[in-house]
Amino acid sequence: MTAHLTRIKSRLSIHAHRKVRGMLEGEYAAIHAGRGIDFNDLREYVRGDDVKDIDWKASARSRQLLVKRYVAERKHTVQLCVSTGRSMAALAALPEGGAARTPVSKRELAVFVAGVTGFLAVQHGDVVGLVHGNAERQHVARPGSGELHLERLLATVHDAIRPDGPPGDLTALLRHVVRTIRRRTILVVITDEPAVTEEQAMLLRRLTAQHEVLLLSIGDLDPTTPALAGRRLLDVDAGAEVPAWLRRDAELHRQLGSLVADQALEMRRRLEQLGIVEEQVRDLDGAVTTIYRMLERHRHARRR
Amino acid sequence: MWDDESTAFRWPWLALALGALVLLLLVVWLRPWRRPSTAGAAYVAHAARLRSLPRYRTLVRRQVVLGSCLTLTSLVACSGAVVLAGRLQQRQTMTQEDRTRDIVLCLDASGSMAEVDAEVLRQFRTIIAGLRGERVGLTIWSGAAITVFPLTDDYEYVVEQLSEAEQAFASGDVYSDEYAIYTAGTVLDWDVQSQMGDGLASCVQRFDRGDEDRSRAIVLASDNEPVGKGIFSVPEAADFAREKKVIVHGIAAPKTAERPDAVQQFQTAVTSTGGTFSLLGADGSSKAVIDAIADLDAKPIERPPLVQVLDRPQVGTVVAGIGLVGLALLWVGQGVLVLRDRGKVRR
Repeated sequence: MTAHLTRIKSRLSIHAHRKVRGMLEGEYAAIHAGRGIDFNDLREYVRGDDVKDIDWKASARSRQLLVKRYVAERKHTVQLCVSTGRSMAALAALPEGGAARTPVSKRELAVFVAGVTGFLAVQHGDVVGLVHGNAERQHVARPGSGELHLERLLATVHDAIRPDGPPGDLTALLRHVVRTIRRRTILVVITDEPAVTEEQAMLLRRLTAQHEVLLLSIGDLDPTTPALAGRRLLDVDAGAEVPAWLRRDAELHRQLGSLVADQALEMRRRLEQLGIVEEQVRDLDGAVTTIYRMLERHRHARRR
Repeated sequence: MWDDESTAFRWPWLALALGALVLLLLVVWLRPWRRPSTAGAAYVAHAARLRSLPRYRTLVRRQVVLGSCLTLTSLVACSGAVVLAGRLQQRQTMTQEDRTRDIVLCLDASGSMAEVDAEVLRQFRTIIAGLRGERVGLTIWSGAAITVFPLTDDYEYVVEQLSEAEQAFASGDVYSDEYAIYTAGTVLDWDVQSQMGDGLASCVQRFDRGDEDRSRAIVLASDNEPVGKGIFSVPEAADFAREKKVIVHGIAAPKTAERPDAVQQFQTAVTSTGGTFSLLGADGSSKAVIDAIADLDAKPIERPPLVQVLDRPQVGTVVAGIGLVGLALLWVGQGVLVLRDRGKVRR
């Protein structure tokens, strides 16, 4: 199989040039509520590190900002929770302003964001677990450490998403998490649901009591996008073709655009009420930034 | 005019085959059991959201109306084309029931016969109304024969002529101008008059279309009282009639009874041709005349029915035209809708 992690790392290394990778790590480290007390060493400050950790004296001596690193008290668990219904096999939303680009599959995007967060955890020495499932059945993979384990998890997610598979069911997946995950984790929910139902909200509230919940939603392709005019589009849920006479209509495009925007806004508002940070992932290039933004927002949310 | 008209296809199998082809194409095109092929197609999720939009409902309604109209008009155009391809033809048949009978009224115009002639004409006129397809001619004779009118089936004209003749004969007075004018030319020589043999022979010659198989009859009214000597004797004339297959029905005037020889000769001549003979009684009973004429049997001719086959492309052309015009109108309508939408968006 394709080495998912290799591709993720190579993409992250592109970002490293832009001084983002370190920032990501800083942000990731910051989401841990409890840190160890035992001082380990000093390292250069990166954006996102808690200001509390800056060793001001050492910084003054070395004329660069240094933060204190502590040995973590215990390993944290990053629990990836991916909805692997067939809708995840569809195309993802086109990046804003990049009308000419070809849309990427939501599956690639889901694997990618899961991979980035998992990789951050692995780098940090934390363990990564996976819950995934659809309307028919849900699976839990035991948390493990190491890149090989993460690679396996990503392959599982990748293979579980098929256009001819069962439909997705976030409610069932969340219920499964409630039922099976006992320990406290950083729960990263990766879903493509455009809205949060009452039941899902209830389950999420229940989960926030136990976990640090982060939610990455993957946006859908707008079938009425003029850039796709030449291609055939199949509705993966209904198995029927989205007819061209629908997709051509500019008024429908406008109405759908406002509906999608409203839904996204409503979802974010709803999740904010629950204290869950939500970010929408649109494309591979923006994904890293999005994850960074999510981690940053989460840190601030916790500071409140 | 045409007894039987039936419309049918010249090539019904072609129409059937094309109809079946249209149906087959329709089924193949719709393929209700088919799921869209995934080759070359991209998937999109949560497209169900489209269905909640008001614009979606408008578009669907429009599409349903346009689509069904387009389908309907295409089918109409197709059926028109199928009808045209099958070559719709109208078959018209006419059974020709000509009762091909020719009757020549052969009246002795000598003065003594006036009353009998008038009676015969009167009776004959009533019969005319019931005739169909027969041709009637009138010849009067005395010393020589005159054709008043030749064989014709223009009954209006016949009735008119018969009335005129009847009027002339019925005046009763042989010396009246009317009678003289009407019968003028029948007597060339006062020594030769009332020649029944010549009269009958002349009447036999009045039949035309000798090569056609028609039943021919002569109604001969006379008193067989010749003056002078003619060309044909009565038996010779009868032979001639028989040779020409003409049936002669004889009506003898009441006065003939006074001369048994003449009656005998008349009757023999007439019966030899297969006709009937009646001697009018002194009471002037017209029944015998009627019977004699009614007995003239018609010979129906077996002619094959006349059949005419006409192409009727009008129906197919009109139906196909309606379909095509409908299609054009719908396309124009669709274009107008698209342009209107574009205009709205631009604004």
